[in-house]
Amino acid sequence: MSVVRVVGVVAVLGAAVLVGLALAGRHLAGAPVLLVVSTVAACLAVAALAVQPWLTRRRVGVHVRVGGIITVLVVLHVVALLVEDPDDALYSMSPDGPTRARMALIATLLLGVVTLLGVLRRRLRWSPATWRFVHGSLAALVVVLGVGHALLIQGALDGWGTPVLLTLGGLGAVGAVVRLVRVLRAPPPPGDATPPDGGRVRSGDGLRG
Amino acid sequence: MPVPAPRTRPHPVAVTAVLLLVAIIAAALWRSEESGTGARDVGGEAVPVTAAAPVPVTGATCAPTITNPGGRNNYRANAPLDVPLGRGLVITGVVRDTACRPLPGVAVQVWLQTALGSERENRTTVLTGPDGRYRVSSDPAVAQFGEPNVHVAHDVDDGWRAVFLRNVVDSEDTLATVDLTLVPSS
Repeated sequence: MSVVRVVGVVAVLGAAVLVGLALAGRHLAGAPVLLVVSTVAACLAVAALAVQPWLTRRRVGVHVRVGGIITVLVVLHVVALLVEDPDDALYSMSPDGPTRARMALIATLLLGVVTLLGVLRRRLRWSPATWRFVHGSLAALVVVLGVGHALLIQGALDGWGTPVLLTLGGLGAVGAVVRLVRVLRAPPPPGDATPPDGGRVRSGDGLRG
Repeated sequence: MPVPAPRTRPHPVAVTAVLLLVAIIAAALWRSEESGTGARDVGGEAVPVTAAAPVPVTGATCAPTITNPGGRNNYRANAPLDVPLGRGLVITGVVRDTACRPLPGVAVQVWLQTALGSERENRTTVLTGPDGRYRVSSDPAVAQFGEPNVHVAHDVDDGWRAVFLRNVVDSEDTLATVDLTLVPSS
């Protein structure tokens, strides 16, 4: 079984455990539907973040689709909180919010940038190395800050949720770093060569991760 | 003769920008307060006998309490008087003026999330006693937006300026102590 499949299985199991813990726990018992939706969306997003960096090598199409799903899940998570409890949600997103909320805010903004970089890759006309470095670095920050935010939150994922979050976050962070190092160290494939221009502009840039 | 494909490196500007961004994020997190700006951990364990309010020293001054960020979150005016909020956590404190004299008969509103309900439903108003102390018995606080917190406010226009506080506790805490020092509203 390939590494990607192993990571995928772990991510699916992790998502199932997180969602199960959240739904079975005391914290969401009798909670408003929007809070439940927000929590489940966050659990699924964490699991998807774990597998996402591992899809960049040979499964770029899946990587793009999973990236879109993560963005939708995070938007759902935030919007549900905003509708359910605007006072606390806006406070959390303000400069006075607690550290865990600041991590989430930065991760969300970076996720938006990472998604935009993916959408605008061809138009940006950056060299592959530059694009991959920026996209991969920011994605690694999204994983670290997003999962760190989940770890600091008290509530639905306390207890057994912590090691599961650590496992999923570790997989995502290691995957992002490994991929980043591999991309930076490897010479570009034939036809993907960029003149030694300092990595500014290249032509014919394909959608490779 | 084939020319070996040149290696490319990320543009130095991109590398610098990412490193700068990482430094800015680290600084932003380092400068943030764990529970939010101005939020104190006011929790602890209840003692069997409630301590009497300290006798003010002549000429002493107490720093006025200032509304902290998030203090008004989920505030609703006109909370009913002496609503039972459960057992397990006592929220108490002394209300004083800036000369450190206790203020009797002053309204204090308390609201928090417990197993009984969210911050929006779970609230009561109590009056301070002759020694300026108020006391609310509640079910233990439950995490609200990632951390259990307790709101205490003086919100009635009775000659003393309104003040709204959001402080944090642990879910196992049995006591939360929040003193207020009020300033005249005129």
